[in-house]
Amino acid sequence: MRFKFLALAAGIIILSLFPIFQTNTYYIHMVERILIYSILLFGLDIVVGYTGQVSLGHAGLFGVGAYTAGILYFKLGVPFLIILPIAVIVSCLFGALLALPALKVVGPYIAMVTLAFGTIIQILINEMTFLTEGPLGIIIKKPIIFGFQTKEIHYYWIVLAISALSLVVINRILKSRLGRSFEALRDSPVACDCMGVSVYKYKVYAFIISAGFAGLAGSLYAYSEQYISPNTYVFELTVLFLLAIIMGGRKTRLGAIIGAAIVITLPQLLGDVKLFRIVATALAFVVVAGSALLISKKMSTVRKVAVPVIGTVGLMAFSYLIKNISDWRLSIFGFMILLVVYYLQDGIVGFVNNFYMRIFSSKKSARDQIDVGNFDKDDAIISAKNSSAPDQLLNLKSVLMQFGGLKALHDVDLIVKKGTIHGLIGPNGSGKSTLINVLTGIYVPTSGTVEFSGSSIVGKVSAKIALSGIARTFQNVQLFNEMTAIENIMVGLNHTYKSNLFEIALNLPRFKREELAAKQRAYGLLKFVGLEELANEEARNLTYGKQRLLEIARALALDPNLLLLDEPAAGLTAPDIKELLLIIKKIKDKGITIILIEHHMEVVMAVSDVVSVLDFGQKIAEGKPKEIQNNPKVIEAYLGAQTT
Amino acid sequence: MDIFVQLIYSGIALGMIYAVVAFGYQLTFSTSATLNFGQGEALMLGSMVGLTLSNLGINYWLIIPLVCVFGFLQGTVVEYLGVRPAIKIKSEFGWIMSTIALGIIFRNFAENIWGRSTFRFPGPFEDDPIKLFGANILPMEILVVLGAVSMMLLVEIFNRKSIYGKAVVATANDRDAAGLMGINTGLVITFSYALSSLTASFAGVLISPLTLAGSGAGGALGLKAFAVAIVGGLSSGLGIVVGGIILGVSETLTGFYVSTGYKDVPSLIILLIVLSFKPAGLFGKTTIKKV
Amino acid sequence: MIRKTNKFVLAVCVLFASIIASTSFAQTIKIGVDGPFTGGSSSMGVSMRDGVRLAAKEINAAGGVLGKKLELIERDDEAKNERGVEIAQELINKEKIVAVVGFINTGVALASHRFYQDAKIPVINNVATGTALTKGPSFPFKDAKDVFVFRTSARDEIQSPMIVNEAITVRGFKKVAILADSTNYGQLGQADLIKALAAKNITPVTTEKFNVGDTDMTAQVLKAKSAGAEAILTYAIGPELAQIANAMAKVGWKVPLIGSWTLSMANFIDSAGKNGEGAIMPQTFIQAPTTPKRKAFIEAYLKEFKPKNDRIDSPVSAAQGYDSVYLLAAAIKQANSLEGDKIRLALEDLKTPVVGVVKTYNKPFTKDDHDAITDKDPVMGIVKNARVVAAKGQK
Repeated sequence: MRFKFLALAAGIIILSLFPIFQTNTYYIHMVERILIYSILLFGLDIVVGYTGQVSLGHAGLFGVGAYTAGILYFKLGVPFLIILPIAVIVSCLFGALLALPALKVVGPYIAMVTLAFGTIIQILINEMTFLTEGPLGIIIKKPIIFGFQTKEIHYYWIVLAISALSLVVINRILKSRLGRSFEALRDSPVACDCMGVSVYKYKVYAFIISAGFAGLAGSLYAYSEQYISPNTYVFELTVLFLLAIIMGGRKTRLGAIIGAAIVITLPQLLGDVKLFRIVATALAFVVVAGSALLISKKMSTVRKVAVPVIGTVGLMAFSYLIKNISDWRLSIFGFMILLVVYYLQDGIVGFVNNFYMRIFSSKKSARDQIDVGNFDKDDAIISAKNSSAPDQLLNLKSVLMQFGGLKALHDVDLIVKKGTIHGLIGPNGSGKSTLINVLTGIYVPTSGTVEFSGSSIVGKVSAKIALSGIARTFQNVQLFNEMTAIENIMVGLNHTYKSNLFEIALNLPRFKREELAAKQRAYGLLKFVGLEELANEEARNLTYGKQRLLEIARALALDPNLLLLDEPAAGLTAPDIKELLLIIKKIKDKGITIILIEHHMEVVMAVSDVVSVLDFGQKIAEGKPKEIQNNPKVIEAYLGAQTT
Repeated sequence: MDIFVQLIYSGIALGMIYAVVAFGYQLTFSTSATLNFGQGEALMLGSMVGLTLSNLGINYWLIIPLVCVFGFLQGTVVEYLGVRPAIKIKSEFGWIMSTIALGIIFRNFAENIWGRSTFRFPGPFEDDPIKLFGANILPMEILVVLGAVSMMLLVEIFNRKSIYGKAVVATANDRDAAGLMGINTGLVITFSYALSSLTASFAGVLISPLTLAGSGAGGALGLKAFAVAIVGGLSSGLGIVVGGIILGVSETLTGFYVSTGYKDVPSLIILLIVLSFKPAGLFGKTTIKKV
Repeated sequence: MIRKTNKFVLAVCVLFASIIASTSFAQTIKIGVDGPFTGGSSSMGVSMRDGVRLAAKEINAAGGVLGKKLELIERDDEAKNERGVEIAQELINKEKIVAVVGFINTGVALASHRFYQDAKIPVINNVATGTALTKGPSFPFKDAKDVFVFRTSARDEIQSPMIVNEAITVRGFKKVAILADSTNYGQLGQADLIKALAAKNITPVTTEKFNVGDTDMTAQVLKAKSAGAEAILTYAIGPELAQIANAMAKVGWKVPLIGSWTLSMANFIDSAGKNGEGAIMPQTFIQAPTTPKRKAFIEAYLKEFKPKNDRIDSPVSAAQGYDSVYLLAAAIKQANSLEGDKIRLALEDLKTPVVGVVKTYNKPFTKDDHDAITDKDPVMGIVKNARVVAAKGQK
């Protein structure tokens, strides 16, 4: 923590002294713009890096910020210090406006909606001449602060201070529950919903926060350039932003700064053929030398490095062939995007980290580790014994789930009693998982009623249902892969927080208290399933059996009344299964009701109080395990029709 | 009334242009769930190559198949350089960035080869308009509408009747299953890209006599066509025609009755509304998510 | 984290070192050239650049100015205002230019001129025509003591009355429509047109707008038609002008097209084909060897740059660009200094006439008038057989 603080302080001191040693305003202005872009990229990274969405609308949001500042300055003469917060708020509003329709869709559709949004903003800026002066643009003077007319150098310091502040705030947000939720929804949206973290809601949050930073950057940009006009905020700028974030490196602040530095200096580089030759030669040299090093250390093959080597050497040759670089600027730009997308997926920061690790074999986790301390809490699981839920915890009546002509569930009645373990079995395709999906709001039943704790859950969204006390695991494990074990559980503990964005940004006591409590409970839950040693390991690095256990621990973090276990024993070894049985019994002892779907009959029969059997979407039998084992209908369903 | 009819004609012609380009998006999206953000540039290349051939004195009708061959090759290149690696590394938006990048590169090359000016593309007909129900229409506009519709019909027939087409449909329905059935899905995806660029190049030759040819012609058109593809639904041929006409007509009507500055706004708003309430598009099928 | 930061600091240092190393102190006179060399208005930008290059080459071949060669620092502003701003800062602070010539797009010029003004670096604006660049109520430096912006193009204030005069006085129309693009160029020009019309007590029957890149102008043309316009006055650039002409042909409506000088752009003439024949516009220069200087210029230009069909893409831009360099060279010579302020003073009081392509500049600028082109200079040109020729009744 101290190291980081010192590094940040050193960086800020170096940057704040920079204009004293380099008095040429051109370079001061250049660094100023890098800082402004960095602020935007910090925000864009939330959307692109953390939640994994593409936004082609950030140029529009940047424009909203710039024009809010421009209009307030030009039309109303509002002072700088009041303009900044207003620009942030207005941009947040626009961000919300964009997010509400955009985030209902996925994939290329999001790209399209955000693109359309950006285009509309640009058209509006261009057309609403009465407000924005249209294509003429607005000329803005450097701000006057408390009667003092700032100059380039003063403004540089203001920008530096604001960007340092943004860095701190964004770091806090991303390390808090918000950041965890953003990452979680990218890794597994469905698990996220089922942990009570509404994917939609948090995507909207991410967009709004991101828009706020874009707006802040935009308003600073207006004062920095002293001129704004509509054709700045176009598609190309958005592509440039995306290039910056991918090239610099996602999910790191340093990557955003490097990305900003590159895209700002890029036009310079591509405007001067001599400079371009120097850089192309240097790049080719670095790639060739790096490849040679990798091959000599037998970490790569000639074949693997062929394309980047040929590409960069070719670029160098190209740079000496052409006379007029401005004609080929866009091709080089496009070429760089391709190179980054395919060979620098983790960005420069990620690449350098990987390179270090491979060459020096120094194990260095890219993510910040959560310090778990030495807490031990046996009561990590909240007991459900005292809950006021009715005895019939779950009550399904003639539930029908129809997909086109297929009836996946047909007239299913099911009653689950409080405090029991209810086994649910049936051949493949009998509708077990469909039932679980209906119970957790992923599917809305075509007809029928589902009552949980005495109230209907039909039509409620997954996150709401999860928060009302139904937790689940998944047949095909749905962990948040790039997050550590303890972070996975802390996503499940999201519901225990009450602190808001401002408390997070300012690191206020209530937030700190809640964070500590959550960490302790998460650690306790890990202990409960025996994973405390692996608390800081990324979920994707755990063995399959451990992943299943982690999923159960995560589900328990939700303080459920009802726990749905979807084939928890699938793929487990015999000793693992033994451990699992123990855990299931312990959960039951806490008074939590369990629905257990399983193909391992011995598991179901060993722990279940009641067993229901589904076949072709219909419930064909129900009773004590012993009865079920001897039920002819069940035997028929499993072994096929027998002639009598 | 004359003016209204005139605007409708213009809108339909415009809409059909969008529809042909949008059709290209549909082809690739169905097989690979990706699309070419440089589709507008494919169209531009088609029209510039066509113009070059035309300057060599080749007849308009003969240019069309030649340009189609070029488009086919161009699509193959895009798939090979931009999409295949992205699918391989399972990058969420790698293909978005790489097809944008390829589009930029193609445009820049065209600028350097053909210059940055716009050129007149000689069409097969005289420019004199025909009177139809009290309003003027250019013969070339009729050709655009007919050409667009027949292009789409041809591809549909190809998909339904030929064995290649069936492989395309199979891959569209379930890529993994098609792969297991012995269909070379990689090849099918390449083929769909080739076909998609072919339609774009064809569209380029078709519309250039109306819109002029130039290296900058692609961008705006690609974007509009994208809107059409999404409004109509990325899985419906009929949707694209309807979507194209809706957007085309709304554009000309807004241009006349509201203000030409705002003419792009209704189509974008329609886009946002459709996506908010029916994300799969007006005619698209909603898919069930699996857990 | 500390290691990361170190890496970053190192990277920044290397970056700056490489930038600083590349700026050298050469024994040349650095002249900035700013224009759109890519994009829709690039035909003007490139013609202007070629004219500038030609002039610089000739001057350098004759021994340069003050014993030093002219070095052109060319920058592509992509017709984007913010690129113009960036370039201005780069040219002034990094390249340390002596003066700058160029500017095609009025918006780019408006956005970037103030940086040169603040740095006391003379600007010779050789193509952009927005009146506000040198004159008028919205001229940004109207209160400045010394103005560093000069111009060798015919400002809109000159062009608009000529256009209006052609339509109203010469041809006797009463109802005219204005079609202008949505850029600064089109919108400011439109304002000047309306003003010039008002002077003749006429209001346009409709004013329509379109964006650069639009391909269908049917709606605008129909509006003008249904408003009963007898002529269309335009303020736009080549490709969109061609679309207007084509749309008029499509709706079967033929009225005269009279507009700003951009109607002489090659991409209008070529793209509109026969629909563009007869379009009329004010011109400072028509590609015709009417004077010895013009003849020499046209021959040298065609030899050097070999344009298609021996036709300069934008003859006006090329000629004005060429002249701007000669004017600048004359001023530097007279000032016998590379100081911006002295060059400005010399420009405001040029002792010897400069023989240019557009005209012979005899005291072209004064302290209060920074426009070299007066309302006497332009003539009306007309498109005839895909070339611009002098309109009938012109000298």
